Amino acid sequence: MSEALLEATLRLAAPLLLAALGELWVERAGVVNIGIEGTMLFGAFVGFAVAVATGSAPAGVAAAGLAGTCVGGLFASFAVLRGADQIVVGTAVNLLALGATALASRALWAGAPPTAPRIAPVFDAAGADLPLLGAALLRQTPFAWAGLALAVASGIALHATRAGLRLRAVGEAARAADAEGVPVARTRALAVLLGSALAGVAGSALSLSLSDTFSEGMTAGRGFIALAIVIFGRWRASGVLFASLFFGGATALQFRLQARGVGVPYPMFLMLPYLLTLAVLAVASGRARAPGDLGRPYRREAA
Amino acid sequence: MDLEITPGEVHALLGENGAGKTTLMNVLVGLVRPDAGRLELYGVPFDLSRWSPAAAVRAGIRMVHQRSALVPAMTVPENLGFGDPRGGPWFRPRRAREAAQALARRYELEVPLDRPVDALSPGQRQRAEILRALDRGANVLILDEPTAVLTPSEADALFASLRRLRDAGRAVVFISHKLAEVERIADRVSVLRAGRCVASRPARGLGAAELGRLMLGAAAVPGAGPVAEHPPAPRGNLPGPPRLELRGLSAAGPDEASRLCGIDLAVGQGEIVGVVGIDGNGQRELEEVLAGVRRPTQGEIRVGGAPVAVAPRPLRRAGVAHLSGDRDSAGLVPGMSLAENFALKGSYDDRRFFRRGRFDRAAARRAVAQALRRFSIVPDDPDFDCAALSGGNAQKLAVARELDGDPPVLVAANPTRGLDVASARFVHELLRERAAAGAAVLLISSDLDEALAVASRLVAIVRGSLHPVPPGSDRGAIGSLLLGAPA
Amino acid sequence: MTRALASAVAGLVCVAAAIALLGYAPGPALRALVAGSLLGPAAWTATLLKTAPLLLTGLAVALCFRCGVWNIGAEGQLLAGALAATALATRGPVGAPAWLLGPAAILAGALGGALFGAAAGLLRSLRGVSEVISTILLNFVAIHCVALAVQGPLREVAGAYPQSDALPIAAQLPALGRVHAGVLLALGLALAVHWLLFHGSVGFRLRAVGLSPRAARFAGIAPERYGALALALGGALAGLAGACEVTGVTRRLYEGLSPGYGYTAIAVALLGRLHPLALIPSALFFGALEAGAGAMQREVGVPAEATKVVQAVVILLSTALSVGRAGSRRARAAEAAR
Repeated sequence: MSEALLEATLRLAAPLLLAALGELWVERAGVVNIGIEGTMLFGAFVGFAVAVATGSAPAGVAAAGLAGTCVGGLFASFAVLRGADQIVVGTAVNLLALGATALASRALWAGAPPTAPRIAPVFDAAGADLPLLGAALLRQTPFAWAGLALAVASGIALHATRAGLRLRAVGEAARAADAEGVPVARTRALAVLLGSALAGVAGSALSLSLSDTFSEGMTAGRGFIALAIVIFGRWRASGVLFASLFFGGATALQFRLQARGVGVPYPMFLMLPYLLTLAVLAVASGRARAPGDLGRPYRREAA
Repeated sequence: MDLEITPGEVHALLGENGAGKTTLMNVLVGLVRPDAGRLELYGVPFDLSRWSPAAAVRAGIRMVHQRSALVPAMTVPENLGFGDPRGGPWFRPRRAREAAQALARRYELEVPLDRPVDALSPGQRQRAEILRALDRGANVLILDEPTAVLTPSEADALFASLRRLRDAGRAVVFISHKLAEVERIADRVSVLRAGRCVASRPARGLGAAELGRLMLGAAAVPGAGPVAEHPPAPRGNLPGPPRLELRGLSAAGPDEASRLCGIDLAVGQGEIVGVVGIDGNGQRELEEVLAGVRRPTQGEIRVGGAPVAVAPRPLRRAGVAHLSGDRDSAGLVPGMSLAENFALKGSYDDRRFFRRGRFDRAAARRAVAQALRRFSIVPDDPDFDCAALSGGNAQKLAVARELDGDPPVLVAANPTRGLDVASARFVHELLRERAAAGAAVLLISSDLDEALAVASRLVAIVRGSLHPVPPGSDRGAIGSLLLGAPA
Repeated sequence: MTRALASAVAGLVCVAAAIALLGYAPGPALRALVAGSLLGPAAWTATLLKTAPLLLTGLAVALCFRCGVWNIGAEGQLLAGALAATALATRGPVGAPAWLLGPAAILAGALGGALFGAAAGLLRSLRGVSEVISTILLNFVAIHCVALAVQGPLREVAGAYPQSDALPIAAQLPALGRVHAGVLLALGLALAVHWLLFHGSVGFRLRAVGLSPRAARFAGIAPERYGALALALGGALAGLAGACEVTGVTRRLYEGLSPGYGYTAIAVALLGRLHPLALIPSALFFGALEAGAGAMQREVGVPAEATKVVQAVVILLSTALSVGRAGSRRARAAEAAR
């Protein structure tokens, strides 16, 4: 039973992990992108639509990543290059996603989206006699694998590569980075593009893996939970990994309890992830550890 | 502006506030693109439209800022590493540390390499900055008022380092408004005034008088900074109990040096007590406690003999006014009008402007209009947005506001920072007036000349403790008093 | 003013382009939009009915933004208000007279919204939790609370659908011609909020905190306290919107009550430059848009969600065009708080 739980945890955590890692890069560069929710939704939609149209789920995932990058481009042009307020621009992105995906979805399928080819797990259930974690891992889709690999890669990249160091400098003290010749706007824009691409892919995990169809607003706040994961994870890749697993596990547990018909009304279960997130934030809010220049648009000016 | 900088020379740039020193430096490091003129590097003209910080860095021009431009959350090796164009794609912490260690040893710069920069003292931070500049192969090293945050012994160490750099063939540009330093370290002096370079001569043989004259453009007073000599300070101390008392005041600070430790101070009626010290020794913390925004861990404040809660409103009700020259603590709200800013501090208690939950804008307008005229604040429109006021006028507004109502206790922190000479004198006059009328004035100033000119008695703040300055001490004696433990 | 007009026009142009791209005929769509919102008494009724909640939630957002607090939770606060009003009206004292039950339900709505706002406010001032995230999360919590209520304790006696009983006539808002008194309430509150901000002591301090928390602190104003107060007040305003919706328009509570008023409110607030009086025409614009979109969907088949595209474009343009002028409050607030 716990093996199934572990497997469910990883499966549910995967989209959160991918999106949160993307946002980690973005926030380490000093930008807050609450539009990650909308970006995921765009990714879910585009991934689904392309998969249906081409019959190939991987094509859908690739398209979702691309769509995410485009949304990131929109966000970056307003929030980074123009210096408009990041929270406001993020809200606009979310609205745009809700409106555009609903419009497009109804135009294409008149309210009854078909089922898409799904992303299969990497390996077959052949590894049944492996220990706990092994089986759970083997049954995962590429999303989970990618997430785990990216978590490790991000940790290394942020601290042991020069590019990572420069990105962190931009996020901690943009002015100091600028004075050293690090292109602040370009670094931030690139981080946003990367983060949004990941969010787009994470979104496609929702419509091509966790479920097999698209429904309007299907992200249901996962993007915001990813934001909370970055804070809870103290802006470190290892923390983000742990926090994603934590939330994935909590959701998996919620489904288990629900299935058992524990006498709690359904909406109560639906509420749990959000209440849990709030509780976690209330206990673990680490303002002190946030990157120094987080959320502040940067304009080069004379001293 | 015409200027020539040669290698193997310490070139001092002298000029008072507003002469253009900072702008010139920003141009040199690529942060500001010049509108017109020519820029030649090593005899080769450079395309101005491509001038940028990266270009400046490539040309070997490095600036060591007054306020550190290092990334606070990173260690020194990391700071050295991130901007380095030579390094490969990988960053190896251990190797970086070793390299930094070697460099520091070669130039005899003592810098801790394992702590984040925000945990270092100002002197250490400055040395780290110099280290970084050298690491990049700086040929031209620019230092902007570097001794402002140093103790005298750290300043000596700095000068020694600069001489070593000069001997190694670098060009050192040293910006200052302190004549004494220029005399000590410079090989060549250029004087800036109102955006032009009015003189550029070898330093040898130039006297303080000559330099002062060039800098101020008029009959200057030798040995004085921008604020000239004044009539003798008030005798102070009218009979009666001290108006303002600090007893055993302790407060936390961001680092060792600025923690307040058991401060005892009494300011009598009619006295102006000047608190002098090097920036970073607790002045800001002391100011914040007196303004009520920093809670002391121990001790109390008494006004007129009675203890007062350390919070902005109780202090204000007890008659303590707080005036600050720092934009941060000035307590002016950009985006609100002059009238609203004038009324700001009384939003809970001042019945003239706030009655029965209502803000009487007309009354505030009338009150501020008087102040605007009296203090010659431009423009004198009560509805003008405070954000658009020039620094000097904003300062005057703050002064007008704090002196409104003739407070019996006045805490003034760097009240003339950023003001031109005439306005500064005006403010000093006001302080003297208040004292003569019986108020107790506490002047916290990082400008020793200002304190000497205005205060009736001096107190030195060193690493969070107060030490009285014997009356009649000269600058040298005071300077030694300000000597703290090595950084 | 020109900036506002430009943003509005740009929004309309973009949505027209989007509609065309998706294969609908933009001409008839836009005609339906305009006719459904502005032509004829039925259209105006629809517009005004949509304007009221948008104005109230827009005020909620604007008030908070002015205090440097990002209230993205107007949607949840609205639902909380609707829930509270319904609870009182349907499960409260039976047979209570109209003059008592009506105002009581409205007040309950304000209180319910205020509670949700205050929750985010307290998390912010006591635990340093970003109100951006907490208000958004609370939105989802509110949605599910409503679902919980109408599937459970507040479920209609007949038990057929997940919705509340119809609200007793006594609790319903009096009609005002073809609209309800809530429209008047919203207008009155816009004036009241304007007065509060620019002529009231509390509003004075709210603005100071929003423009410079550090300077406000030196003036004895506690930014954390006022931030929480702003959220509570904003929550109350949004809660009122919910109460008016449920007592004046829908007459019962059900899931999906709000088509996203709380999010549109952000566009309303930004288009109106956070100025309470300017919010009135701004809310009218978006109200007309919502009403027209309904007609557009019925007649031409273009989904009403198209309006979200307009809102997004308006927000983007409004904020991009105001960079550097009044400056970003949050940037300054964050700057000054250091």
